[in-house]
Amino acid sequence: MENRFQYILLVLVSVLAGLLGLSSIANAQTADDKSQFAVGTEFLEIGLSLGMINIEDFPSETATGIHFTFRATEDYFLQLNYMKTSEVSTSTFEEQGSLTSVSGSDREFIHYDVLLGYNLYQGEFFSADSKEANLSSLYLVGGVGETEFRNESRFTYTLGVGYRVAFKRRYIVHVDVRDYNHKTSLNASGDRVNNIHWSAGVSYLF
Amino acid sequence: MKSMLPHCNKLTLTLMLATLLLSSHGAFSQNEASTGSSSVNLGKPLLTLEVIDSFVEMRTGPGRGYPIFYVIEQGESVEVLVRRAGWYEIRSQNGKVGWATPAQLSRTLQATGEPADLPSVSFGDYLKNKWRIGFTTGDFSDGQLKGTDLFSATVSYRFLSWLSVEGRVGKLFNSQSEGDIRALNILVEPFSQNKLSPEIFIGRGVLSLDSQPEQTASINEGDSNFITYGLGLNYYLGRNFVIRGEYSQYSVSTDDDKEKLDSWKIGFNTFF
Repeated sequence: MENRFQYILLVLVSVLAGLLGLSSIANAQTADDKSQFAVGTEFLEIGLSLGMINIEDFPSETATGIHFTFRATEDYFLQLNYMKTSEVSTSTFEEQGSLTSVSGSDREFIHYDVLLGYNLYQGEFFSADSKEANLSSLYLVGGVGETEFRNESRFTYTLGVGYRVAFKRRYIVHVDVRDYNHKTSLNASGDRVNNIHWSAGVSYLF
Repeated sequence: MKSMLPHCNKLTLTLMLATLLLSSHGAFSQNEASTGSSSVNLGKPLLTLEVIDSFVEMRTGPGRGYPIFYVIEQGESVEVLVRRAGWYEIRSQNGKVGWATPAQLSRTLQATGEPADLPSVSFGDYLKNKWRIGFTTGDFSDGQLKGTDLFSATVSYRFLSWLSVEGRVGKLFNSQSEGDIRALNILVEPFSQNKLSPEIFIGRGVLSLDSQPEQTASINEGDSNFITYGLGLNYYLGRNFVIRGEYSQYSVSTDDDKEKLDSWKIGFNTFF
């Protein structure tokens, strides 16, 4: 199972490294190959988040996340998310149930997904002491991904809502609530579970 | 599980290569012009256009919901600063900075008197030599893996308005097993200038299966090669945003036989 985590991390790290390398190379390049003029572009966001995941039948844990957002149109965006917790502490459910005990990285809750986002309400946000208008948006996200916990790998549906405000042109603060819905064999009935993830974070637009 | 490591390296290499290619293509080029906080001067002049339409509306933000606060008149010039999804940030002669749509800016002239060379309205030609990224999800509707959910990330490059090559890296899940799926497809989309555009594709790839903790039935663990082909339908929701439905068949080579799989998927993609 550890190889699997390394594999996911490797993919994410390489994407990240690629993107960072790319932005620095792009700086030395023309803004648009076909044009002799300098027109900047702002399409991609990279961000970090910190939050809380309520794992059904298990305790809540602090979760850290990283994401990449590609702004496709005025209304739609695509997002790649990765989040994980530290080792989830033992629950009463686990102690009383017939679950085998697992330890180490198998106790970490890991989730990643690919989402389609829709900006439902775009507007301007005026903070109390500022005359500057900050662009803001209330958005919905939905998509699919994978959840790994206690040796299980599950196909997961993600649904969520978020709000973001660009406090600086390129720095965006956002809060998100997302539901990760997946099947599990960990509870007695084998039902689907809903894990609610609350988070706040900062993104950089470039 | 051990057998996955060589693939990891391959995958990483592919991603690295893809991103390097992207950067050489100038896909995410960064130049703040004079509006941003950390201005990068590329030593290039700003694109200056003359308004030939009766007016150009300037909004406070890059979205149709933001208020119009200024109108540039016919004959005035504007400087184009930054492009965001569906909007250009422009500066008027008297220094007002705001956002305008490509549609309005397309009715402008360059200083040379030529029409502004902004992306035109049809899809196919504009998308030539473009990268596309996105994701796709669905399930297997027939065969041994019936009911298995899958999703994958896709990157493709369009050489011609009707021809592209696509790489996919994904995962599949059912109660018994989970696995990885990687494929390289060739896509032919003959009518890509239309809003609704069919395509056919053919490709090949590798399927790797692994057991879940509660596995009871026997599965073909390990790697199997497959050939895939299918039909897709693209719906261009915006100039560079497309929803894609597809039906595909897989012919998987197992130890002693060929296994046929059917799959329906939906995908969301963006060009840049």
